Amino acid sequence: MSTVYAYPTLVGKVEATVKGAHIDGKPLQLSLISRSERVVALHQVEREDWTEGVLDLEVSVPAGEVDDGPWARVGCFAVLSEGATNTRVVTRLDKQRDDSVWRGEVRVHRSCHLARATLDVCVVGTYGGIDGRVIGTTDAPWVVDLHGRTPTRQRELDIVEVDFRDGPEEWLRRFADAPWLIDTEREQPTILLNTSFEGLSPLLSGAHGPLEKATAGLLAAQIAADAWSTMFHSALADLEFDEDGTPHLPGGWQGAVLRSLLPDVFPELPLAEALAEAHSRRADGRGWGEVQSRIQFAAARRGTLPKNLTAAIRAVSRAQGGARR
Amino acid sequence: MEESEEFGVWLGRQLRRTQLSQADFAQRLGLTRAAVSAWVTGRARPRTEMMAKIAEVLGTDLATLVTRDTDTGGARPIGWYHRTAHLDGGREYGNAAAFAFDADLAVLAREVTQNSLDERLDHDRPVRVRFTLHELTGEHLNSFLTALKWDEVAPHYEAAAQSRQKVARVLAEGLRALREESSLLLLRVDDYNASGLTGPEYADGRYAAVVRRQLDSHKRDDRAGGSYGLGKATLWAASRLGLVLMNSTLSEAHEGRTERRVVGRLDLPWREVDGVAYAGPAWLGEPDTEKEHQGVSRSWWADERVVADLCLERDGDDPGTSFLVVGAHDAAGSSDSLESMRDALDQALADNFWAAMTSGRSTPAMLDASVRALRNGETVVPDRRVDPVERHPALTRALRAHLDGETVAELTSAGQVAATEVPLAVPTPRVSGKRSTTHEHRAVLLVTAADGTDQEHSRVICMRGTRMRVMARRPRGLGMGVDPFQAVLLAGSATGRDDAVTRAAEAFLRAAEPPEHDKWGATEDLTATYANAPRRLTEFNAAMDKALHAVIGRRTDGQREDGPEVLRKLLRLDVPTPGGGRRGPGQPAVDRVTGRVDADGAWTLDVTLTVPRRDERWQMKPVAKFDVRSGGRPSLAWAALEPLENCEVVGDRLLVAPDVRSARFRGVTAVESHPVAAAMAGVIVDVQQAREVSA
Repeated sequence: MSTVYAYPTLVGKVEATVKGAHIDGKPLQLSLISRSERVVALHQVEREDWTEGVLDLEVSVPAGEVDDGPWARVGCFAVLSEGATNTRVVTRLDKQRDDSVWRGEVRVHRSCHLARATLDVCVVGTYGGIDGRVIGTTDAPWVVDLHGRTPTRQRELDIVEVDFRDGPEEWLRRFADAPWLIDTEREQPTILLNTSFEGLSPLLSGAHGPLEKATAGLLAAQIAADAWSTMFHSALADLEFDEDGTPHLPGGWQGAVLRSLLPDVFPELPLAEALAEAHSRRADGRGWGEVQSRIQFAAARRGTLPKNLTAAIRAVSRAQGGARR
Repeated sequence: MEESEEFGVWLGRQLRRTQLSQADFAQRLGLTRAAVSAWVTGRARPRTEMMAKIAEVLGTDLATLVTRDTDTGGARPIGWYHRTAHLDGGREYGNAAAFAFDADLAVLAREVTQNSLDERLDHDRPVRVRFTLHELTGEHLNSFLTALKWDEVAPHYEAAAQSRQKVARVLAEGLRALREESSLLLLRVDDYNASGLTGPEYADGRYAAVVRRQLDSHKRDDRAGGSYGLGKATLWAASRLGLVLMNSTLSEAHEGRTERRVVGRLDLPWREVDGVAYAGPAWLGEPDTEKEHQGVSRSWWADERVVADLCLERDGDDPGTSFLVVGAHDAAGSSDSLESMRDALDQALADNFWAAMTSGRSTPAMLDASVRALRNGETVVPDRRVDPVERHPALTRALRAHLDGETVAELTSAGQVAATEVPLAVPTPRVSGKRSTTHEHRAVLLVTAADGTDQEHSRVICMRGTRMRVMARRPRGLGMGVDPFQAVLLAGSATGRDDAVTRAAEAFLRAAEPPEHDKWGATEDLTATYANAPRRLTEFNAAMDKALHAVIGRRTDGQREDGPEVLRKLLRLDVPTPGGGRRGPGQPAVDRVTGRVDADGAWTLDVTLTVPRRDERWQMKPVAKFDVRSGGRPSLAWAALEPLENCEVVGDRLLVAPDVRSARFRGVTAVESHPVAAAMAGVIVDVQQAREVSA
């Protein structure tokens, strides 16, 4: 869905590259910057309490198009934003006379961000007497990851092994009998595994032999299906809407979960329609019960429950067959 | 500067050239034959007063007798000498060495330039190699063929081209092109600041290795890139006529002279001309007067006019050789025009020799190469230096940083070059007797981020010797998601060091190369010379990967609260659903929107939809909204909807006709529904399935 503007915009590509980064004046290893995935893992192994990171940004714009184009006073800006903290920091980039690229330093204040900030670049110019019209942006933003130790876009959920019964977290005590819990109220959904549940952790982490492995697989699939379904509900409950009530596909993990499960929940609908359908059923309750089983199915599929269950059943029957002989 | 030829040797040749016997000569001088014989064999020198008389008899002046840098008695006629067939009846239908390579221009450029690099004379400045493509037609062609004594050699070509062997077909095609198109392409390769074709006519030396022999490498420098003596065969392979002419300025005088040593060599298959069978090669030169080589064409000291006629003039007196490939073609058949052949050469030189062409602030480049094209002596494409930075910016940057000592230990910005060491355990050769031990050679690995424009990247370019690229190795075990990089491994002399271990490493790696010099593996030579060699190479590769990983690999510090792997892998976000792709039938979607704001401030939008085919009609509701950065997008009302193609409008609905692939409509927004002026916002258009939209 592309946007139509009332003034000419750039056709050529605007490309941004983070050439290097510093944390509190100390240079960051280049291996923490991924140009192919456009991710900076702004992270220093030695210390957590840094205050400011600086990214060296270089932006190439279609120079010929800009020079010959109808725009005046063309400038280039880096926009660092994070939805979770509602932060939006704009940095003006500079271009030397003979240089073909725009350069600048983007400052990342640790206190302004939570987890993942996105870095977009806008090319603006004056057209028809109006200043600051956005005439081009980068196709995909850079991601500044404040927690990651490797610069990857792909995210995993946090899995925390914690003692529910005698652990430090008071609120878990009343769930002391539960083998696991899924917490979607954190910045990142978290699976809590109860270490006081006897045999759970050893089974998941160190299964030996085909039977134990199959059981661990089945258990993991069960937990995963649970997690996907919980996350789906949680994401669906937290949408933003257009004025006419059309829901937006959210960013962050919520977006990823919805994108992942909706095609299995409403296979006949395109993504945006499926989201609107899911939301409207949930809102007015019409057929919401029927959707439950669809969500259950999609979550189980995403957690590969059917496959792991089959493997477990086969392993068990093989084990029993062996015992009889 | 140069040493004169021995008087006796010179005199002996003059006597043979003038066909004067020692006895006759002695008689004219009023001496005994024994006295002359003593001069010729070098046992005695004539007295000073006798010199004038000798000069008179030989028809030359006294100065020539002292410098001995020219021959007397006028030039002997230049002609072709064809080797007669073997007595044993053996026949060669071509030169096997020429088939050792793909005979394309890139290989020729690589092999010939490598030879020039190996022959670099003054190590404080680069060897200069210039490739010239020269097309001859009309009068220029005729005068060239005349200088070449084409008439003498034409019958041999005709005979050779009649055989049904592979070489003969190439020859026939070359002759046809010459006859029918009346044009001939010459490829000339000049090197300057190189040794030149030094050495005697028939005995060991650079000259004989190139002109007289096959598979004679004649490389004494242990840094040399070549080692098989195969490279020169690419010159003949590049000629459709199997003909290469040479003009060399020697770095060490031969027969008291250095300039314009000219000879031609023709490689033809076995043939029979006028009832006489000939074996293969033929030489263009001066008939030799020495008894044991009577009549064989040998190199001659040409004058400037002959050299010009043969298109072989050299610039100045800097030593080196000019090779002229007559009837050049790209056997791979990919380039035809002068321009495309020029580009192919340029590219091959940049790809193979960017390292040798790279200079540091205080280190000169080893090689300076250029390519030009001429037509009948007129410049078509001017001489242009091959610039290594153009095609290999990141690699060149890496090497330059190494030469200037500006490498870093850890990469922190994109322009930096990291240097690290890779150990190679060089075994001692078996012949050294003692139990085999190893010495550790430390190769240098340079790593830098790839440039955005680099076509080839993320491989380790391995080089040795004169920074000759041996192979591009794909590293293993780097893990996923490493950014594109460029890496150069400098081994042996390429490190710039020169000690016993470096030389041993150089020899070891050279032995590990096949004739193409394109990989390090277990060759026959290697396993015969060294014990445990394949294992050393494997370890070397592993060490390379390890060093590379240390520089650019992703670090896993193991501090993450990972959770069990079996569970973690089921919970990845942002990965496609397993077994995904199960989707319902497609839905109509907006393909293209164009629009403008009209005078009243309303948007007029022209929308094209892609529609999946189906038998029923699609019913949908077009929606226009203002695009905003965050929060809810304001919807706009339609003032008018107008069907353009394959559809009709009913109220605010769009009905698309069945069985069509696309539909178009136009919509005009209602100005009063705009929350801001139309020109101040971007508009998006969507089509929604006709459904109950919560109001």
